[in-house]
Amino acid sequence: MNTAKEDVLFQQVDDEGVVKEITGPESRKYLIFIIDNLKIGIDAEYVVEILNSYSATYLPMMPDYIEGIFNMRGQIIPIMDIRQRLGKYPKGGESLLIVLDYNDTQLGIQVDAVELMMDIPNDSILPIPSRSAQKLVSGMCTLPDGSGTMLVLDCEQLLGP
Amino acid sequence: MSSNDILDMYIYETNTLLEQLENIVLDAEKENTFSEENVNEIFRIMHTIKGSSAMMEFDPLATVSHRIEDMFFIIRENGMAVVSDANRPALFDLMLHSIDYFRVEMEKVEAEQPLNKDVDSFLANINSLIAKIKGEDSEEAPPPAPEPAAAEPVPAAETSGAVPRSNEGNPDFRYELRVFFDEGCGMENLRAYMLVSAIQGFCAASDFLFEPAGVESDASTAEQVIENGFLMQFRNPEDREKAIAEVRSAGSVRSYQPHDFEPAPPKVSIPAEAVAAAETPAPAVKSAAPAKSAPAKGQQGSAQHQKESLISVNLSKLDELSAIVGEIVITEAMVTASPDLKGLHLDAFSKSARQLRKLTDELQDVSMSLRMIPVSNTFQKMNRIVRDMCKKLNKQVKLTLIGENTEVDKTIVDSIGDPIMHMVRNSMDHGIEENVQDRIDAGKDPVGEIILSAEDTGSEVIIQIKDDGAGVNDEAVLRKAINNGIASPDVEYSHKEILNFLMAPGFSTNKEVTEFSGRGVGMDVVKSGVESLGGSVTITSEQGKGMITTMRIPLTMAIMDGMEVSVGKSIFTIPINNIRSSLKITENDILHDSVNGEMIKIMDGYYPIIRAQEFYNLPEGAERVEDGILMWLESGDCSYGLFVDELLGEQQIVVKPFPTYVNNFDIKNYGITGCSILGDGNISIILDAGGLYTAARG
Repeated sequence: MNTAKEDVLFQQVDDEGVVKEITGPESRKYLIFIIDNLKIGIDAEYVVEILNSYSATYLPMMPDYIEGIFNMRGQIIPIMDIRQRLGKYPKGGESLLIVLDYNDTQLGIQVDAVELMMDIPNDSILPIPSRSAQKLVSGMCTLPDGSGTMLVLDCEQLLGP
Repeated sequence: MSSNDILDMYIYETNTLLEQLENIVLDAEKENTFSEENVNEIFRIMHTIKGSSAMMEFDPLATVSHRIEDMFFIIRENGMAVVSDANRPALFDLMLHSIDYFRVEMEKVEAEQPLNKDVDSFLANINSLIAKIKGEDSEEAPPPAPEPAAAEPVPAAETSGAVPRSNEGNPDFRYELRVFFDEGCGMENLRAYMLVSAIQGFCAASDFLFEPAGVESDASTAEQVIENGFLMQFRNPEDREKAIAEVRSAGSVRSYQPHDFEPAPPKVSIPAEAVAAAETPAPAVKSAAPAKSAPAKGQQGSAQHQKESLISVNLSKLDELSAIVGEIVITEAMVTASPDLKGLHLDAFSKSARQLRKLTDELQDVSMSLRMIPVSNTFQKMNRIVRDMCKKLNKQVKLTLIGENTEVDKTIVDSIGDPIMHMVRNSMDHGIEENVQDRIDAGKDPVGEIILSAEDTGSEVIIQIKDDGAGVNDEAVLRKAINNGIASPDVEYSHKEILNFLMAPGFSTNKEVTEFSGRGVGMDVVKSGVESLGGSVTITSEQGKGMITTMRIPLTMAIMDGMEVSVGKSIFTIPINNIRSSLKITENDILHDSVNGEMIKIMDGYYPIIRAQEFYNLPEGAERVEDGILMWLESGDCSYGLFVDELLGEQQIVVKPFPTYVNNFDIKNYGITGCSILGDGNISIILDAGGLYTAARG
């Protein structure tokens, strides 16, 4: 098999290329990705890398939403199909992988596409009406550029068992 | 060196010395005497602890070690005969108590807590023992405290012509320090002067004297220094302690002796009497003196030797090293097996590649061996526990150690100490019969035995604690389990299930909480401790015969030899040690049991077959046995066949633990222990033969 070539789109998120509308401590950067036409934002602080090519090794006895593990420069990182984790059908085909590092726990999540990076003021994130309605989501907000609403991914819950 | 490093060093050194000391004392107790060598060793240990504690300004520690040193000074000078048989148990107890005291204090030092300043009662204990020893000695010799002081002048007096100043001590400068330089190191006078100038750095010239004077200009003083040592006298004890530190760091110092001068008025005022007084102990002291300096020198030599051949390394550096070596091994395989080389015939390259392979193998072996240490230290500690408990519980038990040289990874050694200790205590407390008569009635040796053994099977370490006590009383255990709500009264339990209750949380069969075991934490702590290392604990017991606790702990081998096999697209690695053989079989070879399980007869045994594809629910894999291969695996007492698709070959692999997230899902319970990155960047999954069998068979 092939040595997975890793095309790095973003490596270590930095300020360049980021739409800066509001800055300051009261706002945080979010990386917005798309699954099933849903916009989901994740705190950019936890994003390590975005890869578009990787080869997953199947790991038995894991829940269905764990695709397997892959080798990122010597580090073994589990891959989660976030659609299945959210209870949606798996899509198959090409997808991007966002590698997260949350409190030293690493995880790659498969998403349909990555949209952009954006500063979101903390106070514009509102609690979702009913927590049980959406798993793994800790809040939502209207995007400052008016392009729609974004759900905020809850890393804590995501990495929980 | 930052002060923290020095503190670490101090803690490490002191703990090592205490361990050494404990072993000496325990051995000596069995012999009921300290050999001359032991006495010297203890003296040296106490001396080192005293010196370094004083340097670190842990005064209570320095004071206590000083008194013990004094005590051993007496023993060293007069021989072990000075301690009568009646006092010996007290001496051994006192030594062990002091070791405990030091240990407790060292823990406080480590935790940066204030030390216990109140050592008076402890000192009183030591003093009373010293008094007892002295009391017995007093008929033959004068009280030892002034004795050394009186002893010193004798050799000095013989050569007194050369020594201008009185050598009998100066009441104003009571704190003496005598330094001897290495034999034949040359320029002793200048070396002495270098010490003087170093000491003048922190001590005013008016606060200390040295002897012989004029070392900086008079080369003939070198002779005196060789003969009598270089004597320094300090007004303040603090200065002397600093000077000791200085002396220790100076080169070519053979030995040094601090000594407190005790003014003895008759001796100072009437020299004749002093000589007379000195005459009596003189023969004894004289004969002791050469013996004293010779072993002291030998000791110094061996200590030096130890220091040179052993260094302490931070564990994190070793971890880093093995990680890098692991990466090198992978990279080496990636380079030499690079797809770019396919179809090329490169003679020189292949030759160099082979050489590289050989070197990386060696590098691996070395880096692995660095982390391996014998379990003997942990095992030795049990001697002490057994001894103490024998005394407390009034039982007679001997501890037998087997395989204490078994080497295991440092992390394992660190974490098995507590479980082993707990099991040994358990055996002592609950296992071995209360009454010797019970043992005699049962036809057993009145002296109980606990056997602690370690064995390295290549893939795991097996540690066994075996006692020949009363064994587990199933009924009592069951009753207790029911009382505690762990077991249900309506269910019939098997012997094995009942034994498992012992390891259930909150189970302790002893009615009362004793000092040693039954503190509410029990076997469940042992179990969880061992399981956190990826190991397992099993208990077997036969009533009346004793109990055996077996701990199996996988060797956390960073690098191991494995056989790669494929099932569908998945690649698994099986540790080479677990493989007995691989065989091609046909449908006709397979036997079926009543519950549709598959078995195979190999040679004269029947073995179950586990199909990897079925067990792991893999999407692909050979269905027909003719299309695959059967691996005959063995681990501990389980032996079975694992059916896989293909044998890919043997490879050295670097074990990588699974990412933290994956560990949430307990896949370890399915016989998957880790993974490894193959030369081509793919990942193989490492199987644990024993775990797989347990998971499949339930």
